[in-house]
This record gives sequence, C-alpha cells and structure tokens, in this order.
Amino acid sequence: MRIRTIALNTFGSLVRDKLLIVFAILFTCVILLMMTPLLGMKAMTTASNMQQEQSVILELVSVIIFMVSGCGSLLAAWLAANSVATELKSGTVLAVMARPVKRWEFLAGKFVGVMLLMSLYVVMMFFLGYLLAWLGGQKIQSTPWVLLVYPLVRYAIYSAMAMTLVTVLHPLVSWGIVILVAVGAKITAPSVSVAKPALRWIKEIVYVILPSTGLLSEDRFLTIKDASLRQATWLEHLTTLSYGLDYAFVFLLLAMWSFHYRSLKRD
Amino acid sequence: MTPTIEFQDVSKVYQHRFSGREVVALSHVSIEVNPGEVCAFLGPNGAGKTTSISIVMGFLYADWGEIRVLGYAPGDVKAKRQIGFVPENFSFYRHLSARKLLEFHAKLAGVPENAANALIRELIGKVKLSDYEGLKISKYSRGMVQRIGIAQALLGDPQLLVMDEPTSGLDPAGRKEVRDLIFSLKQSGKTIFLSSHILSEVEQMCDRAVIIDRGQVVRSGSMKELLTSEDRVEIVADRLPEELEPIVRDWGAAIERNETRARINVSSARKRELAEKLWAAGCDVISMQPVKGSLEELYMKLVGGGEPS
Repeated sequence: MRIRTIALNTFGSLVRDKLLIVFAILFTCVILLMMTPLLGMKAMTTASNMQQEQSVILELVSVIIFMVSGCGSLLAAWLAANSVATELKSGTVLAVMARPVKRWEFLAGKFVGVMLLMSLYVVMMFFLGYLLAWLGGQKIQSTPWVLLVYPLVRYAIYSAMAMTLVTVLHPLVSWGIVILVAVGAKITAPSVSVAKPALRWIKEIVYVILPSTGLLSEDRFLTIKDASLRQATWLEHLTTLSYGLDYAFVFLLLAMWSFHYRSLKRD
Repeated sequence: MTPTIEFQDVSKVYQHRFSGREVVALSHVSIEVNPGEVCAFLGPNGAGKTTSISIVMGFLYADWGEIRVLGYAPGDVKAKRQIGFVPENFSFYRHLSARKLLEFHAKLAGVPENAANALIRELIGKVKLSDYEGLKISKYSRGMVQRIGIAQALLGDPQLLVMDEPTSGLDPAGRKEVRDLIFSLKQSGKTIFLSSHILSEVEQMCDRAVIIDRGQVVRSGSMKELLTSEDRVEIVADRLPEELEPIVRDWGAAIERNETRARINVSSARKRELAEKLWAAGCDVISMQPVKGSLEELYMKLVGGGEPS
C-alpha cells in the first residue's frame, strides 16, 4: 500500500517534470522530422524500385527505433537518479520518512514509479514502431510481447543501477556512470572483435561484469522481414529475462542497503 | 514513568567527505522528555538542534549513546506511527494541492480511507486553509505552507509531536494560532518537542526547556526552575523610610517606589540583613520572593547570542 502510494506520487511528479516535458517535445519533433523522408520514400516507391526502397525504409525505421530505445535507457537512468536526488535536495523525503515508512519501501516506491513511466514510454515506443512500419508499407513480424518486455527489463537494470549510485553520488555523476556502463557493455559485446589477446582478455572480464544489455535489446527481435526473423525458444527468453531481472534486483537491493545507512537531510 | 524521548550520552560527529575534517555536532547530550510535556529545545544556529531532532526521527544515526522514542529505537515504524513531524521550512510536492498532499500523507500514515476524508477536512479547517484546499501548494505563501505542514503532522492522531521551528515564516496572527494549537494539543495530553528561536513564545507554551550550545546541553529543567534566579530576591515593603534608601542602595539593591510601597531587588546574600533592617526601622515586609528572570536573559547569559565557531 505504502509502496503503491509513493510509486503513484513519483509517477505524478515525473509526468509534470518540466525537463521531461521539454525532452518529450524535442524528441517528438525529431521523430516527426525523421518521418518526413520515410513518407517521401514511400511515395516514390514504384514497382521497379520496390526492393531497393524497401531496404532503405527498413534501415530508417530501424535507426529511429534504435534511437528511441537508446534514449529510453538514458531516460530511465536519469529519472531514477533524479527522482531520489530531488527528494533529498528539496527535503520532501523528511516528511515522507517521518511516516511509518521503511527506508526500503521508500526506495521501492520510487523505483516502481520510475518503471511506471518507463512502461508508458515502452508502450509509446511499441506503437511508434508499428506506426513507422505501417507508414513505410511494411509489417513487423516479431512477437509483440518481446518488444514490450525486453526494453522494460533493460530499463529496470539502468534505473536500479542509477538508484544505487545516487544514494552516494550526485545525480549527474550517477547518470554519467550508468552511461559509461551502457557504452562499456556495448563495446565489450562478443560481436565486437579485438585483435590483441590482452585486450580481448580484459574485454571478456568487463563483459562478464557489466550487464549484457545487448542480450536484452529488442533489436534482436525487431525485424520486419520474415526471412531475418530471429527464432528464440521460450527457455532462451526465460533465461535472458531472468538474467536481466536478477541484475536489476541485485542493484535494487544494493540501493536499498546503501539508502538504509545514509543520512537523510537536505542535500 | 517511561520518558517519551530519552537521549543518553548521545554524540554525533560529521565528517567532511573529502578533507576528512570532523565537526562535532553533539557531544554527550542527555535529554528526557516526559509524556504530556511541552519541551523546548533552544540554542543558536548550528548548536545541534536539528541534528538532535533528526536523530529522534531516525533520519540520522548517532555515533554514540542510547536513544529511545516512545520506547522504541528511533526510526522504528512502530514509533513513527505515533509521531507527527513538522520539519523546518516544510517541503512539499509542487504538483499537489493541500488536500491531495494530506491524502498522500494519510495513506502513508495508514489512516483508513473512509475516515481520511473527514479528518482531512477537519485539519484543513483547523489550520484555516479551507478556502485554499484545492490550490496547488506551490502557490501558497510561506506561512500557508507552514500551516499545511502542521496539518500533515496531526494526521493519524500522534502521541508525540516533533516540531522544528513550527512558527517560522508565520505572521503574528499565524504564530498565535500555532500557539493556541499547541496549547490545545497539550490539554489533550500530547507530548510536544519543539525547537524555536522565539523565546517569548517558548516561555508561554513550554513546561520544560533544554538549552544547547556547540553540541552540548548547557542548561535544562522545568520553566519554573530555569526562570527562577537563585541570585536575587525581591522584597516588597510598606512605608520605607527615605533615610534608609541610600544604605540599601549601597548594598547593590534597586528600589522601585510607588505611593505606599517599595519593591527592593537585592542580592540573595543580603536578603536577611535587609529584612532585619526594614523590621528594625518599622517597615512591614509584605513579601520576599526570588526574582523571576526571562528566558531571553537566561539564554543570552548562557549562549551569549553568538553563532558557534
């Protein structure tokens, strides 16, 4: 009950956050601008150039979705860090923690609130993907639930990580570290090859330590062409999602532990 | 009788994150607040008042000492169910109206939904914000924010109220309302622990006071004990002969005369001697009482009004 109350209040605060509103407006403008060439290309598609145009359209749709999805990761980390930091900075945490609320409940509420907003983001991203494919005259072949659940689990990892860091660091520093981790996970992925053996060894260690969010990327499944559709078994889905949720849960527990021992005062 | 708040030998040291420099916020502080008491916590800025209150509320952990609040460890949920807290400069969620904020706090306090509505209406009325309950708190004046802060503290019928500068930001009328509210809470048996810089108010409202400076308790006791001066007495005498006046003044006494009576303020060491002199001169000694000082005088004497170094 208390976690739900804090979560809904966090969600309410976040959707009214001025910075977030400006980000949403700018982001929508960029998406709309990127849609213009898509519509132009669709109009120019004829029977003779269909194959070529289709490939360009698919490329463009993929870029837009990749961008939206990547921004979601940054957004999840920022919202998690900022939602906790704002409470500490303004001192609102004091009135809340004076209530019969345990410290872990407060943090869990903040996390659920952030994830509520990210769920909304994922749903919008999902419909955007379908809209873009439809505008390009194509159809997404992937299973819909994958496009909803995978990014959400990835965002949960970044949110939990940012929340852990912000219990001891400034929100901007926490956010920066999460970005570095995300970049690190990307460049240490097995698909990236390294020539030097020593570097390869380091890369493998870093890959094991960092969250393998590439595995949780909906890009793996977000394909439009039947021919390139990546087949995954339920066991593979279960393993990957369990890995992601486990990673997020461990970070959330770390955040709760760190928050339990920190001083609560206006920063 | 178990004290509502019990601090025994509590110390707290802040350590600067990078330089490692240590600042002693509290040093071996012992305080007791008994049930039903209104206890004031006084001291200059930086003396350790907010640190102590934060420890009571479980926001900060003490480095040393024993602390019990309503019989529980500070921050225990069972204790917090019975505590109402008014933070210094109450902060609020900018997107909420007064009613929504109180609904939020009522849910956290575990007030049943069917009882919450009536309670919130009553509290908003109590702090005289009924006309503004739908307005976002970000549009409120500082005094109105402070009043809504007090209203949220009263949710859930707390046994103990912890107030950090409850009258700060309020105009004289607002201050009087808070004072009256504290009096009515005291009458209903609540325990109140408050910090304030307005000593005249404390003198009126509180049963006890604890004066703290540079992290150490410099004086504590009931208001009567604190305000009663052990050094001087006031003797009221009838028909004081004029020839006696210079002699009495030579003893360091101050004389205030009206048509029939004289009030003589003299050092306690001279009281017996003076009384005998007055009787010998044929005066009637009507009363002899210890001089009652003001809290402000005592505070200035102990703390000196200076900021801690």
